[in-house]
Amino acid sequence: MAHGPYSNSLPDLKTPAFVNDWRRGALITAAIFAVASAVLAYLAASLQHDGFQHLLRSYLMGFVLCWSFALGGQALLMLQYLTGGKWGLVVRRPLEAMARTLPLVALLFLPIGFCMKRLYLWARISDPAAAFKAHLITHDEAHAIAWKRPMLGIGSVWIQTIICFAIWFTFLYFMDRWSVQRDADPEPHVHFWQTRFENISGFGLVIYSITMTVVAIDWVMSLDVTWYSSMYGFLFLVGQGYAAFALVIYTTLKLSKAEPLKTVLRVTEQHDLGKLAFAFVMLNIYIAYSQFLIIWSGNLPDEIPWYLDRIRGGWGVIATLDFVFHWLVPFTLLLSRDIKRNKRRLMLVCGIMIFARCWDTFWLIAPNFPDAARNLHLSFGLFEYVTVPITVGAIWMWYYFTQLQKRPIVQTNDPHFDEIMEAQHAHA
Amino acid sequence: MATIPESPVNDPMLDPITGENLVIAPGHTFKSVTEEVSRIVLTGHTPLGWYFGFALAGSIVIMLLTAISWLFLKGVGIWGLDIPVAWGFAIINFVWWIGIGHAGTLISAFLLLFKQQWRNSINRFAEAMTIFAVICAALFPLIHVGRPWLGYWLIPYPSTMNVWPNFRSPLLWDVFAVSTYGIISVVFWYIGMVPDMGTMRDRCKSKVGQYFYGLLSVGWRGSVRHWMRYESACLLLAGLATPLVLSVHSVISFDFAVAILPGWHTAIFPPYFVAGAIYSGFAMVITLAVPIRKWYHLEDLITLRHLDNMGKVMLATGLIIAYGYAMDVFMAWFSASRFEFFMIWNRMFGPIGWAYWVLITCNIVLPQLLWLRKFRTNPTLLFLISLVINTGMWFERFVIIVVSLTRDYLPSSWGTYKATRWDYMTLGGTLGLFTALFFLFVRFLPMIPMSELRVLLPQSKIRRKAEPLEAGD
Repeated sequence: MAHGPYSNSLPDLKTPAFVNDWRRGALITAAIFAVASAVLAYLAASLQHDGFQHLLRSYLMGFVLCWSFALGGQALLMLQYLTGGKWGLVVRRPLEAMARTLPLVALLFLPIGFCMKRLYLWARISDPAAAFKAHLITHDEAHAIAWKRPMLGIGSVWIQTIICFAIWFTFLYFMDRWSVQRDADPEPHVHFWQTRFENISGFGLVIYSITMTVVAIDWVMSLDVTWYSSMYGFLFLVGQGYAAFALVIYTTLKLSKAEPLKTVLRVTEQHDLGKLAFAFVMLNIYIAYSQFLIIWSGNLPDEIPWYLDRIRGGWGVIATLDFVFHWLVPFTLLLSRDIKRNKRRLMLVCGIMIFARCWDTFWLIAPNFPDAARNLHLSFGLFEYVTVPITVGAIWMWYYFTQLQKRPIVQTNDPHFDEIMEAQHAHA
Repeated sequence: MATIPESPVNDPMLDPITGENLVIAPGHTFKSVTEEVSRIVLTGHTPLGWYFGFALAGSIVIMLLTAISWLFLKGVGIWGLDIPVAWGFAIINFVWWIGIGHAGTLISAFLLLFKQQWRNSINRFAEAMTIFAVICAALFPLIHVGRPWLGYWLIPYPSTMNVWPNFRSPLLWDVFAVSTYGIISVVFWYIGMVPDMGTMRDRCKSKVGQYFYGLLSVGWRGSVRHWMRYESACLLLAGLATPLVLSVHSVISFDFAVAILPGWHTAIFPPYFVAGAIYSGFAMVITLAVPIRKWYHLEDLITLRHLDNMGKVMLATGLIIAYGYAMDVFMAWFSASRFEFFMIWNRMFGPIGWAYWVLITCNIVLPQLLWLRKFRTNPTLLFLISLVINTGMWFERFVIIVVSLTRDYLPSSWGTYKATRWDYMTLGGTLGLFTALFFLFVRFLPMIPMSELRVLLPQSKIRRKAEPLEAGD
């Protein structure tokens, strides 16, 4: 409910009708790529004797990406409440929609939860000492599995996962409920709502950092049971922000082709969004490069293999392109003020950023497995890393667009609303 | 829906819509802001307290000079350094001071780019703090090299000896990082002051003052063209300085992290050092801001909003370093490495374990009070917390550097560390140097940017309808 001078001249705040087409497109994409994935999996199993192992690995990649968008969306939602600023108002509803996909993400976890033994060495080996004696694993692996058992066991990971999802759902429930109540509030009550959202967001971001780190270690880092890095949680934290922010900008710009965002999204706020995206690009390379530099310089036998697995045997190309897509291209483009203020071009940059995050997730996950480490080779299985994540991602997108339609696309009961509806400032 | 209380609108220092403290007290005009800031510098009567404070700080500087003179005569053996602890107070103090400087750069550059206007009242003295902190920091590597007169060997240049520094060493990166940081900070600080120098030149009554401020104002006339150039220069400098917020302390963290010593070699060090730097820097800004606003009656310009926001930044950065500490402990277990595990056990329960608990108490436990708004908006309590944090951050560096070095991989080479009186005198002496420089700054230069403060006044906002301007506009 708007209370300022623009309340009577507001455009219709409903999500544009073309979002329905997006939903349909997402479902069709999911169906096509699901068929392609099945065909590739069959070919890989029958012709190349790879079995169905790539199917689950690439599914994990797709799941991690969807989780990044959903949880990253929730974290960014909290961040914009904490920092205030007009940029937060224009992306709030898409971020809420992203966060509301968490139930789907929880469902998507089930195949991973039930197939842990196929993915994780620590889940497959129940007696590390016996496995070592049988030459199934190395001494370091046996020691690591035995040592980390309190955290890395099937039951233990299930419990951690359930607790983390329960915590995220709790925050989701309250933030979503209050957002709806705020819309319905007949008075602005700015101080009340601001304090309420700030309080839950401040506490929420602390909890998010901890829970996100726990599951990032469980689901991804533990694919290599011997490796560890204290930066890993931070790497995921920034990576989620990077991906979710690119997606939310992309969505907002796409929605701004029609009312109400056509009026609401001014060049000033678009420019601010571009600058924040630039900040994420810089932060991401800073974290990733720092970790690389420290581990590379240390050159210790329990750390360096993780990078060697991802650089040697053809992986160097993937690593180099990761650097190019993740940093070089968006950095170079986002330096330009004109690009940040041009909708079409900014969308292109955000598209590259989303693609870069997919590329990076592939680079993080695929070389963890002995047959792929230091050995990138062309196979049907390799193409599954394209088709399966697209299938999972398209299902997630369908649900995201569905959530997007459920609320007015702009929250009007916000202190920045009147300001954002003013004509473009000349100095902006 | 829950019962919604009415917003607290009766207090004039609170924004009637958001209920937050105002960035600048109501009722000010362009003239009153200029008057309030410039009177501190242009007064002919220097307060007695200033003389006393400066004399005290000056005496401590003499203590520093004594300690350094003795060091040059006898060598670094007068410090508590030994093998295995070959890096002691000098490096701790260096990291601590450089860290403190970070808040100035963050406030002046980062917050400018992010359009955080509350920074306007505090950026000038925060930048001054940065420069003085860098001076104190830079002193330590210079006096630690053993032969300070050969300090220029740190800089790569084509000499006839054909000797080059090791480009792979983070210690050389430090030279570039810190010198770049120092240069950019001074330039940014000075450029930001130019319009105010023009104001001081115009308001100053004495000939010497007019000449001094006139020289520093480099012909500032306040024309549209001057303002345009000034704004562009500030934005460009902010763009250049912003990466420095991240890069300088990251490079310093590499001094430790690229080594393979347990307790040093950990990937999270760069962001954790940066967060720690901002944490201690904001603590120091509060340590300075609270007495300044009280002594010079600047409560209208440095309001509770500033203290509140700085408290929030401290809370956020404090939580980031808490995450860093937690990851250190967790990874010591998760690594399944007995060296890493022993390192953290030694840190907590070894012979110098008390230092770890001091840092946890000062950096993690007590600052949690900042979750409460009444602590963030109570200047005295905030001042005390800022002192606690600065102490904690010094201990953090002590634990990382000294405790890790005392017990490494080989028990046969373990040792201990005991600082000498010269170590303490040098540390205390830099505190005196920092304070003395700050006393000079508040006496001779406008510590609050008048030109930037005027932008915050309602008179400078674009209004929908023509409204009568207040007197003094």
